[in-house]
Amino acid sequence: MKTELPWHSKFDLLGVTFILFILGSFSSLLAIEGSGRDLDYIGNLLRFTGQFFPPDWSIIDRTVEGLLETVQIALVSTLLAIIISIILSICAAGTIAPFWLLWPTRMLLNMIRTIPSLLWALLAVVIVGSNPLAGVIALTFYSVGYLAKFFSETFEAANTDAQKALRSLGASPLQAFQFGLWPNARPIIWSHCLWMLEYNVRSASIIGYVGAGGIGLHLKLYAESADSWNKFSLVLLCILFIVTILDLTGEKIRKSIRDKLDGKPSGT
Amino acid sequence: MTLPLLSTEELGLRVEKRTLLKNLSISLNQGTFVAVTGPSGSGKTTLLRTLAGALTPAEGKVISNLDSNKSLAMIFQDLQLADGATAINNVLGGSLGRHSFLSTMFRFPAKERKEAYHLLAKFKLSGKTNQWTSTLSRGERQRVAACRTLLTKPHLLFADEPVSSLDPILAEEVLSHLKSSILSRNGCLVCSLHNDEQVAQFADIAIILDATEPNGWKLESLKENIK
Repeated sequence: MKTELPWHSKFDLLGVTFILFILGSFSSLLAIEGSGRDLDYIGNLLRFTGQFFPPDWSIIDRTVEGLLETVQIALVSTLLAIIISIILSICAAGTIAPFWLLWPTRMLLNMIRTIPSLLWALLAVVIVGSNPLAGVIALTFYSVGYLAKFFSETFEAANTDAQKALRSLGASPLQAFQFGLWPNARPIIWSHCLWMLEYNVRSASIIGYVGAGGIGLHLKLYAESADSWNKFSLVLLCILFIVTILDLTGEKIRKSIRDKLDGKPSGT
Repeated sequence: MTLPLLSTEELGLRVEKRTLLKNLSISLNQGTFVAVTGPSGSGKTTLLRTLAGALTPAEGKVISNLDSNKSLAMIFQDLQLADGATAINNVLGGSLGRHSFLSTMFRFPAKERKEAYHLLAKFKLSGKTNQWTSTLSRGERQRVAACRTLLTKPHLLFADEPVSSLDPILAEEVLSHLKSSILSRNGCLVCSLHNDEQVAQFADIAIILDATEPNGWKLESLKENIK
C-alpha cells in the first residue's frame, strides 16, 4: 500500500526558508537600478581591464616585501586571536560556562563580529598610528569575533563521554577537560585556526588601504596614481599566488585531520 | 573473617517503568571473579553501574566497605575514549586521580608512562601506542579502555563486556590479565560476559539474570573452594 504524504509536508523549515529566500531576492531586484545614462558597458570594461595588462614586473621586489609584511601581520594577529579566543570560547560554550557568563560573552562576540575588518583597521590607525601594529590590532579583534564563536561551538559539539569517564576514574574537572574533551575538540579547533590564517592573509592585504600596514598600501598608491593599473595588477597576481598556496595547503591539512578523526589510517 | 568489599541488600533495579531485578543480596569478596550473565536486556549493565555507584538503586541498598572510592573503577561498555588522543594518552588518563593538574599538565610522570607502556604491551598494543584511538579497530579500542581502567589500580573492578569485540584467543588473554592484576591485589573483579565457556573457565561465581522474571536471578558457585 502506498501512502501519499500530505502536500504541506514538503514545507519544513528548509523548504520554507528556501522559498522565502527566492521571494526576497526577486522582490529586491526592484531596488537595483543603474545610472539611467546610456553607457557603453562592454567598452568601458574592456578599456579599463586593458590597462591591467601586461603586469609591470619591475616592482616585484617592493611587492614581495609588502607581501611579506602582510603575511607577518596575519601570522601574529592569528596567534594572538587564537590565545584570546580559547579563553573567551570556554566562557561562551553552553556546556561549560554558567549562564551569567555565557550571555554577556556571546553578546560581546556578536558586537565584535558586527564591526568589519576595515573599520577595526581605521580605529586601530587612529589609536596607534599608521603602521603594521595597527594591522595586527585590527585583525586580532576581528578574528576573535569569529574564532571564539567557532571554538565554543566546537566545545559544545565535542563528545563528552571521555571527559565523564575520566571524572569517574578520579580525574579533577580540569584534568578531565584537558585529557577528555580537549583531544576531541583540538583537531577541529586547529582546522578553524588554519582557515582563519588564510582569511587573515586576505584581510591583511586590504587593511593597508587605510594605513594599517602590508600590501594594501601599495594597492592604494597604484590605484590613485595615473597609469599604474599594470602595477596594481601585479600586486593582485602576487596576492592571488599567496592565497592559492595557503588555500591548497590548508585544504590538504584539513583533509588529513578529517580522515584521521573518521578512523582512516594516517599518512595517506 | 574479612569484610566483603561490597555487598547488596534486597537490591532492586528499575529502568524507566520496567523492573529488571528484585531482592538481590550478594557479597563481593576479596579474591573472587564474579561473572554476570544473562540475555540482552536482562539488566547486566544497569546492575554493574548500580554496584559501581553510578546509578542509585530503586530498592534496597549497596554497602561499600572500600577505604576510598579510588579503589573502585569501571570499564565501560561504550568505552568512552578520547578519539583525538593517542592510545598511550588515553591509558594515562587512568593515572590522573593520583596526580595534581600541574604535575600532569605538560607531561605524565615517567613512572606512569612506563607502566602505561607496559600495560599496552601486555594487551598486544605496543605497536599502536602513538596512534589516535579514532584510527584503531573496535577490538583495539576495547583493550585501550581496559588498560586505562587498570592503570587506576582498582581493588574492585567492574568490566562491562570487556571482551565482546575480541576473538576467543585474545579474549582469553585479556580476561586472564584482568583477573591476575585484580586478584594479585586481592581485589574483586565483576565482569559481564556473554560466552559461557569464558564464564566456566574464569569465574568463581556467576550471577545469572533472567530477562523476563526480576526474581528469577540465580547465583552459581563454579569453584569448589568458594562459598
